[in-house]
Amino acid sequence: MTLAFLRYAIVLFAAAGIGLVSASAEALGQEQECPVPVRFYAFEPSLTKTIKALAGGREVVIAGLGGASSVGLAAGGPSLAWPARLSSVLAGRFPSARIKVVNLAVARQTAKAAAERLARDVLPLKPTLVIWETGTMEAVRGIDVDEFRETVQAGINELRAAGIEVVLMNMQFSRETDAMIDFGPYLIAMRELAEANDVPLFRRRGIMRHWAESDLLDLRAKDDAKRRQLAAKLYDCIGRAMADFVTRGISAAKPAVNPGSDR
Amino acid sequence: MLAVEGGDRKEVMSIASNPSVMERDLRLDFFRGLALFCIYIDHLPNNVLAEFTFQSVMFSDAAEVFILISGYTAGIVYGRAMERQGFVIAGVRVYHRVWQLYVAHVFLFMMFIAMVAYTVGALNNSLYAEEFGAANFLDEPGVAVAKALTLQFQPAFMHILPLYIVLLAVLPFALAGIRSWPRAMFFASFALWLAVQLDKRIALSAYPGPDGVWPFNPFAWQALFFLGAWLAWQGTRGGISWLRRRWLFCLAAVLSLAGLLIRFSWTLHDFYDPIPVLVSGKALWPFLSKTDLGLLRFANVLAVALLVARLIHPQARFLASRTARPFVICGRNSLHIFCLGILLSVLGHLVLNEFFGGIPMQVAVSAAGVAIMISVAALMEWFAAAQGVSRASALGAPTAGRGARG
Repeated sequence: MTLAFLRYAIVLFAAAGIGLVSASAEALGQEQECPVPVRFYAFEPSLTKTIKALAGGREVVIAGLGGASSVGLAAGGPSLAWPARLSSVLAGRFPSARIKVVNLAVARQTAKAAAERLARDVLPLKPTLVIWETGTMEAVRGIDVDEFRETVQAGINELRAAGIEVVLMNMQFSRETDAMIDFGPYLIAMRELAEANDVPLFRRRGIMRHWAESDLLDLRAKDDAKRRQLAAKLYDCIGRAMADFVTRGISAAKPAVNPGSDR
Repeated sequence: MLAVEGGDRKEVMSIASNPSVMERDLRLDFFRGLALFCIYIDHLPNNVLAEFTFQSVMFSDAAEVFILISGYTAGIVYGRAMERQGFVIAGVRVYHRVWQLYVAHVFLFMMFIAMVAYTVGALNNSLYAEEFGAANFLDEPGVAVAKALTLQFQPAFMHILPLYIVLLAVLPFALAGIRSWPRAMFFASFALWLAVQLDKRIALSAYPGPDGVWPFNPFAWQALFFLGAWLAWQGTRGGISWLRRRWLFCLAAVLSLAGLLIRFSWTLHDFYDPIPVLVSGKALWPFLSKTDLGLLRFANVLAVALLVARLIHPQARFLASRTARPFVICGRNSLHIFCLGILLSVLGHLVLNEFFGGIPMQVAVSAAGVAIMISVAALMEWFAAAQGVSRASALGAPTAGRGARG
């Protein structure tokens, strides 16, 4: 009990401390409809290469790997998926950079299948950054978590060896499936992978849970039209949050940031 | 836990209101009860209290504690039965228990199916249809049900019972082996565990395939279960002298302490990132597999068990006290309370994901679940006592008390 409150206190103090330090970043967050509390990425390592390329106005290729939620099926297609949203937000913020976000996601693809595509489909693009959304199929199918960890570790090694920066993105949050699918071990594995490799982890699950918890996004849809609308909104929010996440630590480019321009 | 010692007569008599207490090693019940609470708390989503269960202070978690104690208890109960009644009768008793576990598993599966059937409509029209629709049980319920009956389909949070069923089904033969060739059985069991560590292909496949495996690999976990049974059998014949050696105690203490420091530094690091970890997790990954009962998980639970066995008396005053009673009665009725815990954790999921409510809600749901588990265990104890009294008066003989169950 006491320790639980201690944790609460620690998180609060940490959040307060970071909030003070990065007051300007918070101000940006407040402009958005679906802000992300700093605790979700305060301690994630930053992407120095990608940031330099963006700020320097060079060509930046970002590849997105993942499953159905990255393809954007629920919203109606890739043009409404988070990679497309990320692309347009980044383009608004860094008009001088030539930004290309390639969506390589395939519905129901396992980490193993995605890893096998790295050499063939990802490396030839010469991306600066690969955002790898994974873990869902493994949890749904109950694939051995040790094997999952080895697969992703090998993938990270391969990308790193090619000089590519990596972001890991974990599963979606859903109210309904939690009691049916045990995400726990896979979430822990991804956190450990990120930690051990000093790779930033985009905690999509926690962020979506936060949005649902604070009534910013009701993740339930009554009919098909509502569902598309909701999915489009969600993917837009994820894309924006990802843009903030990727560009953390850019100080030189601050003047270029205009919250109104990417609406 | 490692040797059944004759209890202090006075202490036993002071708590003799329940006649079965005299025979029992209360540590087994207490720690099994504690493990059951931890399993429930660990299963709740996003639960801050899950950072304060076994797994935050040792590499192992409640599953190891549960399986080790279950193996030990089964070794005592059925080992004794085998001595007195012979292989066949003892075997039938074990298989009666296996049947009970199997029925419990099927019961839990029914609840799972009910929940799936209830949510499938909502799911198909949700954001997640494409992602989670890949769970085959939504597409082919017939196959899923059949595979559940053969233990190949183990939905979330339903992994321990199938493991327990398989281990118990092998127990009569293992016990017979332990009696005839104790040393050979000890090494055979260990060798199989070692083989799994070296070759990950030694596993049982699970549904849905093609690459699904049993989340608890029986070929690895048997080592913990049968080691428990082996120790229990050795305990009935005076114990094992080298287990009381000083160096072994020191080794166990060092291992447990190292496990505590390293694991707890990870826990703190999760809370607040700038707190450094003592040893990087990556270096230890190969030894931390839960599926295959990695070396560190195996060693840590044994080290802690040895410390507990040496430091806590089987009928220690605390274990017989009111404070410990909730743990003891839950541990004593472990099958029922385990199933209840799974049911409650599913309900807890629904509550926490519907109302959220942050840390106070997580604590409240955890506490409520534990309270329900204790109440049901108390009710079962009361009922068993009432039944025991009526049966004893009908037979005109004092009851021997309910024996421990594996």
